Amino acid sequence: MDFNFSDEQTLLGESVERFVQDNYDLETRIKLANSKEGFSSDYWNTMAELGWFGMPFSEADGGFGGNQIDTMVMMEAFGKGLVLEPFFASIVLGGNALARAGSEEQKAAHLPSVIDGSKRLTLAYAEEQARFDLFDVTTTGKLSGDTLTINGAKSMVPSAGAADTFVVSVRTSGGQMDKNGISLVLVDASADGVSVDDFPTVDGLRAGEVTFTNVEVPAGNVLGEPDNGFDVLSAVARDAILALSAEALGAMEILYKDTIEYTQEREQFDHALSDFQVLQHRMVDMFVEYEQCKSLLYRATLEVVQGADTADRTVHALKHLIGKAGYFIGENAVQLHGGMGMTEELRVGHFFKRLVVLDTQFGNADHHLEQFAA
Amino acid sequence: MDIDLSPEDLAFADDVRSFLADNAYKAGEDFGQWRFEWFEKAKAKGGWDVPKWPKEFGGPGWTPTQHYIWERETARANTPWDMPFGVGMLAPILMGYGNKEQQERFLPPIRTRKQNWCQGYSEPGAGSDLASLKTKAELSADGSHYVVNGTKIWTTAAHIADWMFCLTRTDDSGKKQQGITFLLIPMNDPGIEVKPIITLGGAHSVNMVYINDVKVPVTDRVGEEGKGWTYAKGLLQHERTGIAGVSRSVFALENLKRNAASVKRGNGTLLDESGYAKKLAELEIDLMALEFTELRSLASASAGAAPGPESSIMKLKGTDIQQRTQKLTVEAAGIFGPAWGKSKVGPDFGRAGMGGYLASRAYTIYGGASEVQRDVIAKNVLGLKKSSGK
Repeated sequence: MDFNFSDEQTLLGESVERFVQDNYDLETRIKLANSKEGFSSDYWNTMAELGWFGMPFSEADGGFGGNQIDTMVMMEAFGKGLVLEPFFASIVLGGNALARAGSEEQKAAHLPSVIDGSKRLTLAYAEEQARFDLFDVTTTGKLSGDTLTINGAKSMVPSAGAADTFVVSVRTSGGQMDKNGISLVLVDASADGVSVDDFPTVDGLRAGEVTFTNVEVPAGNVLGEPDNGFDVLSAVARDAILALSAEALGAMEILYKDTIEYTQEREQFDHALSDFQVLQHRMVDMFVEYEQCKSLLYRATLEVVQGADTADRTVHALKHLIGKAGYFIGENAVQLHGGMGMTEELRVGHFFKRLVVLDTQFGNADHHLEQFAA
Repeated sequence: MDIDLSPEDLAFADDVRSFLADNAYKAGEDFGQWRFEWFEKAKAKGGWDVPKWPKEFGGPGWTPTQHYIWERETARANTPWDMPFGVGMLAPILMGYGNKEQQERFLPPIRTRKQNWCQGYSEPGAGSDLASLKTKAELSADGSHYVVNGTKIWTTAAHIADWMFCLTRTDDSGKKQQGITFLLIPMNDPGIEVKPIITLGGAHSVNMVYINDVKVPVTDRVGEEGKGWTYAKGLLQHERTGIAGVSRSVFALENLKRNAASVKRGNGTLLDESGYAKKLAELEIDLMALEFTELRSLASASAGAAPGPESSIMKLKGTDIQQRTQKLTVEAAGIFGPAWGKSKVGPDFGRAGMGGYLASRAYTIYGGASEVQRDVIAKNVLGLKKSSGK
């Protein structure tokens, strides 16, 4: 048993942390979040130059042959600055789906530009009526000759406005809730009939409603075999949960540490707040929850990397705990900062909001508890 | 014991319901005009515009049961917004400690809602530990006025208020609860500067208020110099009971259930999801108990008397219930929670829900943080003392 990162992973983590520390102070983040794009193209290019986008892809696909552990190391560091660049959407979601399901030809056509940052992807998977069920798909894809015609709408598509190409889950056969009959298709954001309504979410990131009206794409845009997209979608969702959980862990660390620092500085009743035992115990509980999340993140990530039979179940456990602990740590960080925690001026509120949003992505705590117990 | 309403109470409830129905806001009406008229009509009903005021000051002199009925019915109906600062908080202080001149000058405009007030209590260094406040009021040599200097924070509605009732320090030689003086300060004084504080939900309701060399005539001091803390303490208990918001929570829970039932899940709704249904049920059970805690407290308090330490119980549980209601609203919105006010996606309740949830985190902070409420209950109700060891 070995819980140490490889030298390369340690270096990667340090490099991303340094980038976040140097470039993601609160003021800069707020400015970027409010900009037209919602992130920095310069930062995006820097990340590409540093080779971060190639990390999880195989060498055959032009990447560095890393795995979910490398992604975890990066996402945890991103979480400490609430990074806005669409790494998660383009690499963990879109690029991942393409690498898992695409033919050699499809991969060759898109992955090099995803890895060098010149093309951005995202995954359009959620639908209004589906809540957290990936298999509940009503967006239709009708195959006729060499053309696939798509009609329907996808909700809360991560970083939709920044994407050049969408990986879209469409129903090519079967009923609304069938796991069979779902296909993953590449659709150009600029294709006729695609409309993107992009908006800021409460955490400062962006999402979009994407509608498809008689969008015609070549049948060759279907990733892998038609009707068999659900397994790939599930695998991508599993990786997404690992990545989001790592980001959450980074955010939790900032929250509990900032709280410890603040309560040592703030004086009320002639004492530093940190003198009060009731607050000490609360901070101990925050720390313990953080450590528990870290343990389950490592466990789930290692099980996925090693292909363990229990991996899916452990990932459900992880997302449940991250959701629950995220609320606990976030709410208490705000509570212990008092009124100041409620303002936009301190960073705790921003980290708290990100954790609240994280719980709504790829299934909330209740959803995964139910899946775990099933 | 008997929980049935008497025939008189049932008749009163009918009367309240028809008043609220007859005077509900109608689309197209001038909102401000409707609001002022609503209070006028409520006044004509016999003091319904100031339900908590004692009879001698024009209140209705209701029984606790009638107060309960009023709270329940108004929470459900479309009544005009009302700030607690004038009618609910300052007025009882003026009635108890103000002089006749002050009562005659301020109570009428407070009552018509044409004069808006804000509360100058918290300071950057005095939050939960309010008594450590430092805003200084120095009496002029001729004894005619105070010169006030300091900074107040979290001042709700300071940007729309005409006046601020303010705790100031006139003496720092004794215990910190002593030497605090209660002053009334006009917000249009050139020495007053209001700076907005934007909170997590993106809203502007609280402010910093800078007070620079503001002259306050001694006639605008309420009660005696140095006794302000005693007056304010009674007020804090009023504030806490108000913050508990039991009636609003009953109404909010009804809404929440309706909203959750509108969220489809497979062939059913969100109410069929075991984890969600369980949390909703637990919330309802806590609220059912708190309703009766409030009733018991209403029944034991003689009309008009300041509520006692039970106000801390009410605040503790009441705010917990409100926060859980807000969180369950965000959860009901599912993937659409993050979309909040700025977009048009997902269910309407979901977009409003996130702002409500974030704002609700302040409920356990303001009006005395929950940790402080627990201290109050430990000390004043359970009689527990902090020992310094053997």
